[in-house]
Amino acid sequence: MVEGLVHPSCSVFKTAMEKTEKEKRHIIAIEVEDIPGVLSRISTLFSRRGYNIDSLTVGNTHKPGVSRFTIVVRGDDTVLEQIRKQSQKLVHVLTTEYLKRDNAITREFAIVKLVYDKKTAIGINELVDLYGARMLSSTDEVLMVEFSGTEEKINLVFEDLKAFEVLESLRTGKIGMRVGR
Amino acid sequence: MSQSKQIRPPRIEGSEAIVKALENLDVDVIFGYPGGANLPIYDKLSGSKIKHILARHEQGAAHMADGYARVAKKPGVCMATSGPGATNLVTGLANAMLDSTPIVAITGQIARHLIGTDAFQEVDCINITMPVTKHNELIRHEKDLVPAIESAFYIANSGRKGPVLIDLPVDVLKASYPHEFQNEIRLPGYNPTIKGNVGQIKKALKALGRAERPIILIGGGVVLSKAVPEFLHFVRTTNIPVLRTMMGTGVIPVDDPLFAGMIGTHGNSRANKILTREADVIFTMGTRLGDRSFIKQPTFAKNSTVIHLDIDPAEIGKKIRADIPIVGDIKAVLTDMNQRIAKKPITKEKPWVSVSKRKSKLSTRDNAEILEGIFTKLSSIDMKLNISTDVGRHQMWANHFCTNPDHLPLLTSGGLGTMGFGMPAAIGAWFAEPDVPVVSISGDGSFMMNMQEFTVAVEHEIPLTVIIVNDYRLGMIRELQHSLYKNRYTVHDLGRTLDYKKLAEAMGGVGMCVTHENQILPAIQKSIDSRKPTLIDFNLENISKSSHLSWDTKAS
Ligand SMILES: Cc1ncc(C[n+]2csc(CCOP(=O)(O)OP(=O)(O)O)c2C)c(N)n1
Repeated sequence: MVEGLVHPSCSVFKTAMEKTEKEKRHIIAIEVEDIPGVLSRISTLFSRRGYNIDSLTVGNTHKPGVSRFTIVVRGDDTVLEQIRKQSQKLVHVLTTEYLKRDNAITREFAIVKLVYDKKTAIGINELVDLYGARMLSSTDEVLMVEFSGTEEKINLVFEDLKAFEVLESLRTGKIGMRVGR
Repeated sequence: MSQSKQIRPPRIEGSEAIVKALENLDVDVIFGYPGGANLPIYDKLSGSKIKHILARHEQGAAHMADGYARVAKKPGVCMATSGPGATNLVTGLANAMLDSTPIVAITGQIARHLIGTDAFQEVDCINITMPVTKHNELIRHEKDLVPAIESAFYIANSGRKGPVLIDLPVDVLKASYPHEFQNEIRLPGYNPTIKGNVGQIKKALKALGRAERPIILIGGGVVLSKAVPEFLHFVRTTNIPVLRTMMGTGVIPVDDPLFAGMIGTHGNSRANKILTREADVIFTMGTRLGDRSFIKQPTFAKNSTVIHLDIDPAEIGKKIRADIPIVGDIKAVLTDMNQRIAKKPITKEKPWVSVSKRKSKLSTRDNAEILEGIFTKLSSIDMKLNISTDVGRHQMWANHFCTNPDHLPLLTSGGLGTMGFGMPAAIGAWFAEPDVPVVSISGDGSFMMNMQEFTVAVEHEIPLTVIIVNDYRLGMIRELQHSLYKNRYTVHDLGRTLDYKKLAEAMGGVGMCVTHENQILPAIQKSIDSRKPTLIDFNLENISKSSHLSWDTKAS
């Protein structure tokens, strides 16, 4: 075969998927034109390029026709930069930016349905007070509560909830915004 | 406009609006295939000045559009119906995506109210083609038709070029709506960068000026950006030697003193060494440095400064570290650089590498000399030709030994390595430059992937020469089984039953069989002179028996 040839199968390329050791979590905010199928474009791009999504949220903004994704991904810095650039290339993507711990506020949101009876009422009331939660409904000894806060706070909520009988629960992914202008 | 109060605004059918829009966009030819969902367009196309070329398979149509685009240097257009028509386009779209060829694909789709019901010939064309297109769009409203087509051309042919697909439900095509009701084009998220950042350009020139062993590495981007004159001016003024990837063919002549070889798994080892070990400043442009282009990534250019110029910001930092990134169009950036070096020269006294112009040796195995001989003889033909290749050993040999600048750049499938690309691409190329004969270089395996398209060449009397490098096998597969699987040869045998001469004649063309080395050039010459679609079967086994292995290697 060709002189000096090394076949690619013995080369040392690493794909985004193989780079596990240096993996960090990153948050990226993507503003898009709110057009049918745009969610599919974003998720196709992420899965095809082997970027692992921890969470993805999307919703409208104050601008008509503009939606905003907050996506939490794992990967090293080069992976993150690729994600941002590849996303930016999508025709319906307007802006992309990183949200970092020191420049952004992030929040999660959770709804929990619990058994709320004589035995548990006091403990649950304390929990609701402690985390500044909101009671949403209470019927037949079943209570629905809403929590919001940082990821760490919601993690603690779920730790504390282990003491009670939880019937159903959900957490949104992260949403976030950069501070300042 | 004032008297139009009483008159109802003129109405137009969706399909007619599409055809008008294509005419306004200067489309002269469409390669396509009909079906229920795109028949409304065909109905209106019959009265148009746009030529329609009926391919014999939608994959053929997509490769024709690709070959057309590469030669015409504007988007090629292909068309297919919904369902199987659309899925047959997929390989062609992926091919164009990986080689950044601008093509616009128009697919019919089933009627809007049936979408999502698993209707007859329904496939989710948008999601299927999303990863193999630069952009795609399902058109849901008549008033979006014309803007969608216009933006498809703009997106396909600007920034980093690529395929764009527009999916058109048949009821949108049949709907009639007031002519002037049309949404405007809005692409707020699409702003390709053309001009390079001045600060970065200055930094790059400074680094090149200081360098002792600078090298320039070029890829297909130089061709796509139509920057060949600016590029040659730059290297000849600076005296910086040049390496190329496979897709960087035809930019700098092989006998140019500044040309130092092709890199990559199929390149020259000397070229690879210059790039990875010797150069102190590497200026790479218009190449995505794919995994076949260079070998050990982490050690790549550890001790050198890398200047990386690309129109696609996502290419920078993707595979290699870039010390001085420049995002921009190569033509624009080199024009700027050329002006700067005219005032403040960075010229080297002489090129620091002197590459011996001895024949680059690819291998001596499996009829290597004959392969070399065929392409060297082809290169001795002194006229302009558009030449395509298929995929396999013949492609690699063609890449090294097709050296006549009038025959370059080769139209070849670099990124996807699509067997079956060659002949349809050559046919498409002919429609872009009908005065120039086309040659398609194929292996027997590749040829059989899309051989039905030969009938298109017959139908349109295309001066097409198909060179079939006939080794009765999948040569590249055999080579891989030799080098990686300890000579355990399987699945490469194509049998000896196909008679290419008869096949060509059965399809209405001319067939020839070359069995002796001294027939090689006369056969090619005769076919080109005849201007008839011709298949030439170069029977490597028989030629090898007749061969003296003494090729008059004019070039390289
Ligand atoms: C569509 C497709 N299928 C499979 C391959 C894998 N492949 C690469 S080269 C090759 C053999 C090509 O044989 P041929 O066209 O006869 O050319 P040769 O190598 O003999 O010159 C194959 C099967 C490919 N590149 N494309």
